[in-house]
Amino acid sequence: MERLLIFVETKGERPRKVSMELLSEGQKLRAQGYAVEAVVMGKASAALKEEVLPCVDRLVNLTDAVLQNYTAEGFALALANHARSVDPKLILAGATQVGRDFLPRVAVLLGAGIASDVTGIRWKEEPIKVIRPVHGGRALSEVSFANYPAIVTTRPNSFPMEPSGGAPGEFVEKELGISSEVRTKVVRVEEVTKGKVDVTEADVIVTGGRGLKGPENFALLEELATLLGGVVGATRSVVDAKWRDQGDQVGKSGKTVSPKLYIAVGLSGAIHHIMGMDTSKMIVAINKDSNANIFNYADYGIVGDLFEVLPAMTEDIKKRLGK
Amino acid sequence: MNIVVLAKQVPDPEAIVGIRGDGTGLEIEPKFATNLFDEFALEEALRLREKHGGKVKVITLGGGKATEVLRTGIAMGADEALLLDDPAFFDGDGYATALALSRAIQREPFDLVLCGKQATDDDRSEVGPMVAQLLNLPHVGGITKLDIADGKATAESPVEGGKAVVEVPLPAVFTAQKGLNEARVPLITGVMKAMKAQIPKVTPNELGLSTEEIGKAGSKVRIEQYLPPKKRAGVHFIPGDAGEAAAEAVRILVDEVRVI
Ligand SMILES: Cc1cc2nc3c(=O)[nH]c(=O)nc-3n(C[C@H](O)[C@H](O)[C@H](O)COP(=O)(O)OP(=O)(O)OC[C@H]3O[C@@H](n4cnc5c(N)ncnc54)[C@H](O)[C@@H]3O)c2cc1C
Ligand SMILES: Nc1ncnc2c1ncn2[C@@H]1O[C@H](COP(=O)(O)O)[C@@H](O)[C@H]1O
Repeated sequence: MERLLIFVETKGERPRKVSMELLSEGQKLRAQGYAVEAVVMGKASAALKEEVLPCVDRLVNLTDAVLQNYTAEGFALALANHARSVDPKLILAGATQVGRDFLPRVAVLLGAGIASDVTGIRWKEEPIKVIRPVHGGRALSEVSFANYPAIVTTRPNSFPMEPSGGAPGEFVEKELGISSEVRTKVVRVEEVTKGKVDVTEADVIVTGGRGLKGPENFALLEELATLLGGVVGATRSVVDAKWRDQGDQVGKSGKTVSPKLYIAVGLSGAIHHIMGMDTSKMIVAINKDSNANIFNYADYGIVGDLFEVLPAMTEDIKKRLGK
Repeated sequence: MNIVVLAKQVPDPEAIVGIRGDGTGLEIEPKFATNLFDEFALEEALRLREKHGGKVKVITLGGGKATEVLRTGIAMGADEALLLDDPAFFDGDGYATALALSRAIQREPFDLVLCGKQATDDDRSEVGPMVAQLLNLPHVGGITKLDIADGKATAESPVEGGKAVVEVPLPAVFTAQKGLNEARVPLITGVMKAMKAQIPKVTPNELGLSTEEIGKAGSKVRIEQYLPPKKRAGVHFIPGDAGEAAAEAVRILVDEVRVI
């Protein structure tokens, strides 16, 4: 039987959303005859087991003192060592900051091909083909692998998340002894905004540009985003002006996002910005200039003053929600 | 301190990218730029040299105008450059590219390798960590701060909701991202020097590599075809004054997109 190995990345005690997307994909493939294994680093919580086990045949928890904090060296060694004993066809992980940082090392350790930031997988074809955007999304490249195992990292929000209950798989703890091989030392991790949903995994993003005129006006976006269960993004101009954090920047020199809904407010839609958001499922743009480039990429557009349109939208939503 | 910078030439972000009729390749308008993240890597290398002494060497793998990246590096202040422009090196996946570059790095002793977080043409973000693993060195990805002291490097990189500070012994590899620095603009004297500079080249053979191991032949990932991105239907402008448009937008979000 062919095996898949899914790396489960955690956020706090829980699996990340992108990991659940992959597990959901794995669950579908189990029905098609694949054996699906998941692997998690550091001590797995009860909550994690509860979410992951119904999706897999086996969940392996790799433990070692060095795996308590993320280091590329440690995670790569651990995953590569374990993968050798599983002999999977594909190793899958989310194309998160962490996934994109250490899986290339795993590829070298295993002599495996890797496709990064993949948005689609054609499972039924042999060899399996995967789709990845290149040139900031201006073209898609369809690739296959010369050999297996091969590694695929997937862009968050690219695969539907619909895990259904199943008989729980087996849970195994495996203690590694790799600490002496890891030279990277984590001095400290400073968390400024703990627990906030990252723009890359948000379902709804309301992004503001220079049209917001000042940092204080982002409160308008925060209010709307919160009502919609989303987060606030920013253009580079806004980040460079220190109105918003670098971590919120969407675009070529920031993050690539793919939410269900992207609301672009008071931003022009420069190509550098478009590169980071044009795989969003739906784009709504609000701009006072009907010629703004963002309208070339939007599904819906409102030509108007954001300071009139936004509060009106927020009020309307509140009414609908009975707030 | 010997610092190696890996820098790649990429199409200018404004260049028009089209797909060849049969899907076998891309047709890209010939406008070029140094990969944005590699400029940060170069700048950081120069600042480290200014502080600690030593030399900065820029390496690129690429044909044709790719040499311009090396000349830009020299114009900014790099001491040396090295070019890998044998066609056997070209069109490789991340692995084949990293293999050739890692061998080129190894030709002389070094303390530090700096590269970009991602090349904005293939958007792979693989070469830095792969070079590190091929050289069996630690790496720190996406750094925004780097300090060197006592044979050790302390690097900061943003993590979700905050930042991580890590320490690695040298030699080590670092990938640069926005926030690390602002790249300098070359002075005219630098540009003059760069124009005249002789750029040394290496062949696969000189790196101890056979042509089967590198470039397209050595790739573990094969490009089957290129496809156009999904086209949107075109924008639908919501009419009316601010209040009317807002109400209609909310109706669409609620009833059609069902986000609420
Ligand atoms: C190498 C490189 C990398 C880059 N990377 C990124 C990146 O990652 N992300 C990114 O975003 N940019 C990036 N940029 C910058 C990008 O090119 C643009 O400069 C930037 O995106 C513009 O930001 P903006 O849309 O907020 O501002 P502007 O272009 O100034 O647009 C402001 C918009 O607001 C509208 N507006 C003003 N007032 C109102 C109002 N009251 N109501 C409604 N609308 C209003 C205006 O009509 C205008 O369209 C990069 C640039 C370079 C060179
Ligand atoms: N052909 C190349 N020549 C020199 N450096 C490269 C080349 N390809 C990639 N790099 C380096 O590796 C980084 C990451 O590239 P990539 O993995 O292709 O996204 C780039 O920012 C460069 O620093």
